[in-house]
Amino acid sequence: MGFTAPWLLAGLAALSLPLWLHLLKRHKTPPEPFSSLMFFEQREQSSVRQHRLDFLLLLSLRLLLLVLLVLAFAGPYWKSGAPLARTERKLTVAAIDNSFSMRQGGRLEQAKREAAALLSRLGPESQGQVVAFAGQVQLMGEPTSDATALRAAVQAIRQEDTRGSFGDLVRALRSIAQSARTGLDVHVFSDFQKTAMPAGFAELSLPPGAVLTPHPVAEGRLPNWAVESVSAPHRLEQNQKGRVQAVIAGYGTPEAELKVSLLVRGAAVESKSVRVPESGRASVEFSSLTVPHGWSRAEVRIEKRDEFPEDDRFLFAVEHSDPMPVLFIHEPRDTRSPIYFRTALDAATQSAFTVQAATPIQLGGVEVGRYAFVVLSNVVSLPPDFEQKLRDYVEKGGAALVAVGAASAVRGKTPAFGVAVTESRYAGREGERFQAAEWLDQTHPSIRRANRWEGVRFYQVFRLEAPEARVLARVTDQTPVLMEKAEGDGKVILFASTFDNIANDFPLHASFVPFVEQTARYLAGLEESAGVLTAGAYYELRRTGGKGASVEVLDPGGRRMLDLRQAATATGVTLAQEGFYEVRRASGRNELLAVNADRRESDFEPIPQETLALWRNTGEGEAAAGQSAGAAPKPFEFGWHLLLLAFVAALAESILSGRHLSLRKKEAA
Amino acid sequence: MSQRLLDPQILAGISGLELVAKTVVDGFIAGLHRSPDFGFSQEFAEYRAYNEGDDLRHVDWNVFARTERCYLKRYRGETNTRLNLLIDASASMGYGSHKLRKIDYARFLAASLFYMAHHQRDAAGLIVFDDEVRNHLAPSSRHGQLLRLLHALERIELGVRTNFEKPFIHFQQYLFRPGIVAVISDFYEKPERILRTMEPLRFRGNELILFHVLDPMEIAPVFRKPVRLVDMESEESLDVSPEYVQGEYRAKIGAHIEELRSGAARSGLEYCLVDTSRPLDMALREFLVLREGRM
Repeated sequence: MGFTAPWLLAGLAALSLPLWLHLLKRHKTPPEPFSSLMFFEQREQSSVRQHRLDFLLLLSLRLLLLVLLVLAFAGPYWKSGAPLARTERKLTVAAIDNSFSMRQGGRLEQAKREAAALLSRLGPESQGQVVAFAGQVQLMGEPTSDATALRAAVQAIRQEDTRGSFGDLVRALRSIAQSARTGLDVHVFSDFQKTAMPAGFAELSLPPGAVLTPHPVAEGRLPNWAVESVSAPHRLEQNQKGRVQAVIAGYGTPEAELKVSLLVRGAAVESKSVRVPESGRASVEFSSLTVPHGWSRAEVRIEKRDEFPEDDRFLFAVEHSDPMPVLFIHEPRDTRSPIYFRTALDAATQSAFTVQAATPIQLGGVEVGRYAFVVLSNVVSLPPDFEQKLRDYVEKGGAALVAVGAASAVRGKTPAFGVAVTESRYAGREGERFQAAEWLDQTHPSIRRANRWEGVRFYQVFRLEAPEARVLARVTDQTPVLMEKAEGDGKVILFASTFDNIANDFPLHASFVPFVEQTARYLAGLEESAGVLTAGAYYELRRTGGKGASVEVLDPGGRRMLDLRQAATATGVTLAQEGFYEVRRASGRNELLAVNADRRESDFEPIPQETLALWRNTGEGEAAAGQSAGAAPKPFEFGWHLLLLAFVAALAESILSGRHLSLRKKEAA
Repeated sequence: MSQRLLDPQILAGISGLELVAKTVVDGFIAGLHRSPDFGFSQEFAEYRAYNEGDDLRHVDWNVFARTERCYLKRYRGETNTRLNLLIDASASMGYGSHKLRKIDYARFLAASLFYMAHHQRDAAGLIVFDDEVRNHLAPSSRHGQLLRLLHALERIELGVRTNFEKPFIHFQQYLFRPGIVAVISDFYEKPERILRTMEPLRFRGNELILFHVLDPMEIAPVFRKPVRLVDMESEESLDVSPEYVQGEYRAKIGAHIEELRSGAARSGLEYCLVDTSRPLDMALREFLVLREGRM
C-alpha cells in the first residue's frame, strides 16, 4: 500500500482538534453548589453510561471522518500481485515524426524504413499500430498483427510542414493505452528536437505500463540558418514602394556573411549581404518593393544553401491594386453626405478607395459586384432589381454600410436589408440638447482608432429593430447608434444616424476620418487579410455555417482543397503545407495566402540524453531497467471509496450530533 | 392582593426589613378579614353588672343612657409573652435556586414575627447561630427593640456549618423565663439529634416551634443531566445522576421531613415546613395559633 501524496498525511494532526474539544467539553461542566450532600450518594446510572457511550461514539465518528478524509486526499493505492496486462500481449506502437524538420536529409524516409523493419520483426501473436505525429497526431490504422497492413500504414505517412509536439504524442498514447487496455511498447522514430518538447515535463508522462524506446534518426546538432520572419506590406497602392524587413537566424551556426535576396514572382529584385553572428540573429531591409498589378508571390531567400534549404526562404504575398471603388447611394436632395464621406475617405493616409456617388434612379445597370462595399446613406428606397442584386451581393460575402435618417424612417425599414426603424430619438439643437456616444466597443475595427468619438453630438438617433445584430456603440439614452449584422456570408454595418451633419455633427469631428477609413477597410476585407500564416493555421472562410456562396481554395500544388459541398458550407480550412494558397470567393474577391513552416522546426538541437532518460522512466513498465517481461501490476486506488466512507461517517456524525444538540437544548431549557 | 404581597419573590424586591415585615403582616391580617388589633389585650370580651367599688371609667355610659343600668365593659386579659427567635446562619442557609435564598426567607419570616410581636406588646429576642452563638439580643418589649432586632437580622452573616448541640447548650442560659422559642433552620442534622437538643427547652416551659426552611430544589430537585454538586458547608463534591435525584434523594428527604415532623409531634414541638417559593402566611398562621394558645 502506498500514497500518491503522502505529505497530505500531515493532516492527521487535525485529529487533535476533536480530541481537545471533547476533553475540554468534559471539563467545562461547572460544579453546582448545593446546600448539603447529606442525602446524596455517588452513583453512576445507566443513562449516564449511555450518555458517555454516545459521547465516545460521537468522538470516534469525528476522528474516523477526519482520518478517512486525510487518507482519501493522500491518494492511497494498493499494488496487487496480479498484473493488469501481460507483457507478451503488449501493443507495439511505432510513432513516426513527420514534422517539417524531418525533411532534412531524408530523415522521414529513414524513420519509415526503421519503423517498417521493427514492425516486420513482430511475432504473429503481437499487435502493432502506426502513428504519425506533426501538428496533429494521426493514427495510420487500427492495432493489427498483419505485417502487410502495418507496412502499408508506414508507407502512407506523408511529409508535413507543421511543427512536431511530443506532448500531443503522449496524449495520444494515453488514449491508445486506455482503449487497448494493455501495456504499450512505444518506439519513437524522430530527430528528437528540443523545440518539440512541451512546456511542462508532466505532459510527457507516459501511460502506465508503457515502455518507450527512442530511435533517433539524426545525431548531434545540425547547424542551420533560416529566414525567421518577414515584415512586408500586404497591399501596395499605385506607384507605392514597399519596405520589407527580414530576420535571419542561425541555430548552432558560426558567424557568417550571408547573401539575402528579395524575389518577386520568382525574379530577384534586390540582394543584400548580412553578417549573422554565431547562433544569433540579424535583420536585413529591402526598401524598394514594387509589384505589378494583382497578387504577387514574393519571398526572401538566403542564397547560401545549408544542410536544410527548406527554411532558407520565407514566403509572403503582396497585392497591387487600383483603389477599390465604393458605391455611395444617397437621395438627390442629400448632397452633403457624399461630400463628407468622400472627404473623410480621401483624407486617410492609407486610403485605397474611390467613392462613386449615385442616387437611386442612377442605379440602372450598375454591377454591384465590382465594388468593395456599398453605402446606403439615408435612402428611402432602391429599384427592386438593384435591391435584389445588393442582397445577393452581400449574402455572397459582400458588405454594406447603411446610414438611417429621417428619409429611411418614413418607410419604417431600411431598403434592401429590411431592418425596422421603430422610433426616432430627437434632441433639438436650439436647446443644446443632444446625446453623446456613451459606450463604444473598442475591440471592433470601426471604432478601434476613432478616439472614442469625443465631443460628437447626436441630435437624432433612430432605434432599429435588429435583435441579432452586434451593438458597437450606444448613445447616452442607451440607444444603439452603431451595429453590425451578418447577412449570409457578408456583413452590414448599421449607423442609426446620418452622415450629413444634420442629425449629428460627427462629420465635423476628427474622429470621423478614422471611423470612415477603418469601417471601409473592414467592409472591404482588408482588415482580415493576414497575408502570412504559419503551417497548420486555420483560415476562416465564413463566419456562419450552413449553405452559402461557394468559396474555392487552391493548395500550393494548385489542387482544390474543398469539394463542391465543402466549398458551399465549410467555415474554414487548415493550411498544413508550406507555399501559396489561393482563396477565390463568389463575390469576385480573391486572396493569396503565404504559408511558412514554424521556424521552431529550424532548430535541430536534440533533447539532452538526461531528459530523454527521464522521459523513458515515466512509464510504469520501466523499459530503462531492461525488463523484457516485467509484469506491471496496476495499483488499485481506493481514495474514492474512502471518500464514500467519509460521507457515510459524516452522515452518522450529523445525526448523532443532532441528537446531542437537541438534548443540550432540552437541558438548557 | 394579599397573596401577591406575601409572595417571597415580590418581597425580595422590597428593601428594608421593616417595610417587608409591615407588608407581610398587614397583608396577612387583611387576608384574615379581621381587625389589625386582633388578639390585643384591649379586645372587648363581655358586659358585667356594676358592683360597688368597680372603676367608673369602665362603665358603658351609652348602655346606661338607654337602660338606666350600669354595666361595665370587660376586656380580655392582658397576657404578654416572650418570643425568642433562633436563626440558623450556617452556610447551607445561603442556598437558593431562585431569587430568594433560604437565609433571606428566614430574615423575612423573622422580621414578620418580630413585627407582629411588637404590635402585641410581646417581648422579642434573637439568637443567631451556626456552630456557635453568633449574636444574641435579649427579649424586650421596650421602645426601639424592633429596630434593634431588624438591624440584627440585616447584619446576619453566613457561617460555616451547623451544630445544634453546642449553641443550644450555650444559649439555654439566656432563656430565663418561659415563652415561645421559634427555631428557623434547614435542619441538616439527624432528626433525633435535633429533637434531643430541643426537648430540654420544652421541659423548661417553652413553647417550641420549628420552622424548617427548605428551597423547592431541596425538596424536589430536578436535574436533566448528571451534575457535580458541591456541599456548601463541607465543600465536598459529588457526581450525581438525574435518576438518583428523581428517586432515592426524594425518598430520603421526604423521610427526613416526616421523621422530623413526627418526632416533633411526639416531643410536643410544633413543626412547620416552609417552602421558600411559597408565601409566608403558613408560617405566620402557625405562629399565631401558638401565640393564642398562650394567652
